[in-house]
Amino acid sequence: MPKASNPPAKNAIQKKQNTTVLIVILCILLIVIINLLKGYLSQGPKDVSRMRTKGDPNAPVKIVEYIDFQCPACARGVAMLNQYYAAYPKKLYLQMKYFPLDGHQHAQLCARYAECAARQGKFWPFHDLLIARQNDWKGLINADPIFQEIGTAVGLDKLKLEVCLTNDEVKSVILREKENGVALGIQSTPTYFINDQMFVGIKSLESELKTRLGELPSMP
Amino acid sequence: MILRILLGLLFVASGGEKLLFPYQNFLYVIQNYQILPPFAEESAARVMPWIELILGVFLILGLWLEWTLRGVLIMILGFLLIVGQALIRRLPLEECGCFGSRWSFPLPVTFLMDIILWTITAYLRIRIERTAFFSLDRYFSKTNQPL
Repeated sequence: MPKASNPPAKNAIQKKQNTTVLIVILCILLIVIINLLKGYLSQGPKDVSRMRTKGDPNAPVKIVEYIDFQCPACARGVAMLNQYYAAYPKKLYLQMKYFPLDGHQHAQLCARYAECAARQGKFWPFHDLLIARQNDWKGLINADPIFQEIGTAVGLDKLKLEVCLTNDEVKSVILREKENGVALGIQSTPTYFINDQMFVGIKSLESELKTRLGELPSMP
Repeated sequence: MILRILLGLLFVASGGEKLLFPYQNFLYVIQNYQILPPFAEESAARVMPWIELILGVFLILGLWLEWTLRGVLIMILGFLLIVGQALIRRLPLEECGCFGSRWSFPLPVTFLMDIILWTITAYLRIRIERTAFFSLDRYFSKTNQPL
């Protein structure tokens, strides 16, 4: 006798397949809706202090960097950006924002020093020297004397610096920028927004800069 | 069943965390392991969190359990290979980046955790009858019985 097909079994498999499709669609919908809501609530990096910008504001490539001065990858990113800036000064516009990571013991203090340097119009020299000497201070228990030394080297007014470092407004600027970064979905540093598109890490930065500006000219 | 649901929750948390933040964060994590070519890094960063999420949901609900558990075993084995090669090559990675920035562990801890998770998954696969307790698979196989 031929084996009869089993309609309840077929029905059950059909139901199971339908349920699977439904569950997958629900998962996708849930993630998409949450991400849309998050995107609606936070729209791109907000305006940044003019003291922490470099280059022509009308340049075709605008980069906003969220930096933690203690992070080694950020230091490598700064070296790369400096090379690109030297090669294409008219095509790059840089803005720096603070994103001190909790795991880095000097990150907050660095950001405060940098903000105070910015308020004296010396952000970039301070930033460059701070990053160049990262290996000298990142392992120290107390890095304050080195920060003071860097401040003196770039010509910061000591008295203004002392007052600035204890200023609550400076702390809140850093906190606000970090919160703004978190709202944009930043989890680690360095994170760059190149013409409002997000890139994390120097590998992505390099590949995007190569696409937009080309290879770095070889140094003589 | 409890182990199955806990494992599922872990996968949902891991996949969900990555999906709720820009994919570039996870791409950065993958790039740090220096194992895939650029095009594969990009694809993995976009696809892997979805696979984790779906596998996690299927584990919790107990749907297609045999296949889901196989998928989880392969996935954890992949994690073990990736983390293992990073340990052998002594890559300068402070943390695994496996659960985004919220929960992250040093590589040796991650490797150990992955071994434990793989063992648990293998146990769930071997004891599939008990694993399927209170699952959609069991529900559908009951409705499959002729009246």
